[in-house]
This record gives sequence, C-alpha cells and structure tokens, in this order.
Amino acid sequence: MKIIEHRYSADLEWVEHYAAQIGGKIEGNFITTSEDFQTGTRYFLDCGDGIIAYYLNVEYHRNFRLIQKNLNQDFVGFYYNLTEGEATVRSGHFMYNVGRWQYNLSVIDGALESRYEVLKGSKTFALCIFIKKSMIKAFLKRNNIIIENIDTLIDSKVNTIVRFDRMSNESFHVLNDLKKLEVGGAVFDLNLRGTVHLLISNYLKKIATKRVIIQTVNENDLAKIISVQMYLIEHLGEHFPSIHFMAQMANMSESKFKSLFKKITGDTANAFFMENKLQLAKELLEKKQLTVSQISDHLHFTNNSYFASKFREHFGLSPKAFYKQL
Amino acid sequence: MRKLTHYYSLTPEWQLNVAEQLSTELIDNKLIVVPNHIGDGFFYFSQIMEGISVVYADLLTKEPLKIIRQRSDNELFIFHFDLSEHVNLIKINNVDYEIGSFNQLDLAILDNQIESAFKPAVGERTIALRLLIDKKLLHDFILKFSTSENYFAKSKSNKKAFYHYGNIDSNSILLIQSIKTKSIYDLSFDSFLKGISLKVLGNFFNKFYEPKNKNLQLTDVEGQALEKTKNYLTNNLYGPFPSLTFLSGMAGMSESKYKSLFKKHFNDTPKNLFIEEKIKLAQKLLRSGEYSTLTAIMYELNYTKLSYFCTKYFEILKRKPTDDFVKKNATKKVT
Repeated sequence: MKIIEHRYSADLEWVEHYAAQIGGKIEGNFITTSEDFQTGTRYFLDCGDGIIAYYLNVEYHRNFRLIQKNLNQDFVGFYYNLTEGEATVRSGHFMYNVGRWQYNLSVIDGALESRYEVLKGSKTFALCIFIKKSMIKAFLKRNNIIIENIDTLIDSKVNTIVRFDRMSNESFHVLNDLKKLEVGGAVFDLNLRGTVHLLISNYLKKIATKRVIIQTVNENDLAKIISVQMYLIEHLGEHFPSIHFMAQMANMSESKFKSLFKKITGDTANAFFMENKLQLAKELLEKKQLTVSQISDHLHFTNNSYFASKFREHFGLSPKAFYKQL
Repeated sequence: MRKLTHYYSLTPEWQLNVAEQLSTELIDNKLIVVPNHIGDGFFYFSQIMEGISVVYADLLTKEPLKIIRQRSDNELFIFHFDLSEHVNLIKINNVDYEIGSFNQLDLAILDNQIESAFKPAVGERTIALRLLIDKKLLHDFILKFSTSENYFAKSKSNKKAFYHYGNIDSNSILLIQSIKTKSIYDLSFDSFLKGISLKVLGNFFNKFYEPKNKNLQLTDVEGQALEKTKNYLTNNLYGPFPSLTFLSGMAGMSESKYKSLFKKHFNDTPKNLFIEEKIKLAQKLLRSGEYSTLTAIMYELNYTKLSYFCTKYFEILKRKPTDDFVKKNATKKVT
C-alpha cells in the first residue's frame, strides 16, 4: 500500500506539494506521474471566484491511501467520484464506501482530516471542486441566491460540513459529457468551468428542494435500491422490467420500493429508466454508426415514431434533426 | 411599431436604460420582465466571468417590436443563438437577415461596432441566447488555436465586420433547450445559465477549430465494406474489372452510394484504382524477368491490345514498359 499525505485548498498552493507527494511533475495544468503506480490524467484549473476544479481520470495499479490534512482549512470540497472499483472515505468515527455505485458525491469541510483509500485496479473518474468558504457567501450574493442562516452553515466551529450523497442523474450526465472531451486547451477549460457551474446549480437545486439526505436512509435499503439502479443501467437495451419484478429484486413491497426509489434518485423508476435510455440513444447517435431506426430497434422502442416522440419530448429536438446538425 | 434602443456592455448598467424604456424595473441587476401590454417574457443578464457575459431572452410579443442595438465603446463580439421555432429578423446595414431554428440558420456573430436591429416575430415565442465576449479574449483564443483558417481575421478584412455563421451544433441546441424548462426564479438558475453558456461556447470553438477533413464520416460497417471491396480488387488484378454492380452488391450499397463513398474514402474511383494497381503489378512482372515478351505479360493481365496497355502504363508511371522490361532469355544468356 502506498501512503500519501497531501493537502488541498481553494487556491493552487496545494498542487506542487501534491505532485511531489505522488511523485509527479506539473506540466501546464496537468500533473503527470510515473506510470508504475497509476496511469491517466490529472488536471487542475482555477475557475475564478475562489473555485478550484481538479479533474482526475486515472487507473490505480497499487493500493493507495491518501491522507488529507489541510493547512488552509477555509474551504469546502465537493467530490464527484465515479470510481469503478473499491474506494472508501474515512474520517474520525465514520467510514463510507464511495464510487459510482456507492456514495458518489461527498461534501467535506476542509477543516476535517480524512483518509481516502482506493484499491488496486480501480478506475477513478472524479471531479473535485474546492470552494473558499468566504467565497460561498460572496458567490451566493453575486449570483443573487439567498439561503437563510448561511453564516452558521459555513462556520466550521458551529457546523462542520460532511455529507455523503448520491449525485442526481442530471449531474451524472453532465460529468459524463465532460469525460468525453479531450483534456486540456481552452475549449476544455470552458467546458470544465461550465460543468462546475452546472454542478453547483444542480447542488443548489437539490438544497432548495430539500430532498431527503441519503445518509438518513437505512443502509441496507439504500444498497438494494442502488443495485436495482445498476440493473436498470445495465439493461437499458431491454424493456422496462416492471415494478413488480424490481420490488422482488429489492425484497420490498411494491409501494415501498416505489417511494424509496423516488426518494433516493429523485425520479420514478420508469422515468429514471427512460431518461437513461434516451441519453444512451443520444450517445449512439453521436457516434454516427447507427441510423435512427436501428437505434430505436436496438433499444427496444416499440416503433420509430414512439422513439422519436420520446426523444423530442426529452431533448426538444427530433433524433433526425439532432443527427443532421452534429 | 415600438422601438427599443440599447447598447451592450459586459457589466449590468446597460439594462437600466432598457428597463426605463419598457417602463418597468430592473430586478437584482439581472432581470427585466417585459410588461404585459407589450408582451410576455423577460431578458436575463448575467456576468459569467472576466470578459464574458450572457443575455437570455424568452419572450412572446403582442405587438411589433424593434430592438435596436447601438454601437458602444466596448470591443465586443456578440454570439446570437436563436432557438425560436419561426423566423426572426436581424437587420444589419439595412439588410434583413432571417434567423431562427426554423430555417436552420440560427447562429449569428455580430460585431458591436456595427449597429443592428432585432425584430422578433409577433405572437410567437422567441428564445435567444446572446453571449457577449470581449474581443481581447477572443484574440487569445485565436492565438491559442493557430489554425490556418481563421475566420475572425477573415471577417475583419471583410468590409462588414459581421459574419453569418450558419447553424448551431446539436449538443448546444440541447443545452439551450434545457434552459427553457428551468424557472428563472430558481436559485440554481444563475449558475445553470452560466454553465450552459460556457459549454455552448466550448462547443462552438470545438466545432469551429475542428479540422474540416472530418466531414466524411463513415460508419464502421461502411468502412469495412469499402475495405473489403478494395481488397477484392487488389486480389483479383489478373482478371477483368468486376463491374460496379458486382462491387456495390458486395458492399451492400446502391451503386451510386458505393461510387461516391469509394471516391471520397480512397480519393479515386474503383476503376482507376483497379487500373493503377494493375499497372503496378505489371511493372513488377516486367522486372521479374520471367516473361519473354511484353505480349505475354499483357495477356496475363487480361489486356487485349498492346498499344492500349503501353499507353496506360505510360500514363500512370510516366515511363515506357520497355524501360522496365527484363527479358527472360536475356537473363539466361548472361548466366
């Protein structure tokens, strides 16, 4: 196991230290490392307004333990973590599994010391956003967003922010779009900044709608709902498997399953399925390998016109028009 | 016709005047709601980052409205993305340009040194996203992407500093469409709009600076089929040309589609490619020293007239067959 002690902060002060710790170098906005322990891309960007984005798309070839001890604790870290493999975050008395199918969004106060462990063979795609606490207030003010008792919320003496959650489907797709782009360059920077804004927007929306905080859901139930979600994602090409079937899979009554699914994902099972299906259809169209009707058949839509109307309803544009203007 | 004159700046102060003319008020320095007797809708302004701001308009006018943009001192480019499902007009130098997703021309890039007027169609919902970008910033972009085809440079040399670019790419349309569904009163709207704007801009530059040769996009299946027929041709050089009907059948396409794709992909027609490969093979045979006459080689390659063969040979390799010919018995005599 390779143990690394590092720090983050809401400016670029941490980068050099971090690069040295993982045995890498800074080239432009990239942090490059030797290929023995991990391969992939690490990219950081100052987004202005006291916001730093740190983009990772790496595969680990050894077990890693990253200990985060921050010198400058005046920031909050948002970790959008889509690791395929095993990773955990531990701090004090709690420990959570993180990754694409676990808690994939953690919000952790910079004042907190935390330990991130990731196992060999894991592929991590993550976007970390560090925001200065003082800037949160200024940011909200500049963007005319009003949240009550913001002062107590960001005061780490009163309130240490630690939250483990699952990102919304929308956020996931925003990240997925980012992943498709080639890293580096002005175009990527624009997209990265855009993505950061969209993620913040999404997070704010979530706060505003006061959706249930997932940490409060029974862990067992959560795991089951997520496994159903996983099943749905893996079977996007097929018909919707029926609530009855899924409820059985999750060992719940149908009504409990339905309400819990909605609580956790923010969508009904059917809407979640359809949305991901349409996103997949969009990706297939982007690849320009299949025609509209081939995709419609491939994804088991009853017929082309139903597919087209669903696509139009969701994206506001027909699949043909989308294809033409790619 | 109601007229509305305004100018743009990267900072919010320009809106005050607009609000005054509409006899309404500016909310939070970002939002102007159009009063009911004129129409239904709003203008939303936000500063995204240093040098980039955005105006998002969603309105349905009840009477003809002409929005005249005056030139201002700031050096700006205005990217106008129009997602209305009908035709609006942009007037520049007394020429009306149609714009709107209806006629597929939905993106205009304007120089703010030149006055323009925007006339939304009456009784229809107009959706437009305008990005205001400091020219200095674009200059940086241009330098970063040192492409030979630099249209900002081109547009400067043009007498009109205006460029009608054409259409928005699909992904940006989806992004702008998604704004429609959000409420401007949501606290997440501002970040959302900023995020979308940046991504739209990213898409634009991405598309713009992408090398043009990517135009020909074959699906894998088509590419494989073309390769297959090409291999067939090169493996059957001794016979006659197998005919387009046969080849297109093999590729599973119509003849015309096959021909045009083949030409685009290999930069040559199937027949020409076949002849070229054949002549190259002829050269190999000529030099091999295993034939005693040219005629033998000619027959071997399914030519019937020596003169025709010689002409083709010269056409392609710019030398005569006899220059390359090594006679069979000649080599024998030497040994």
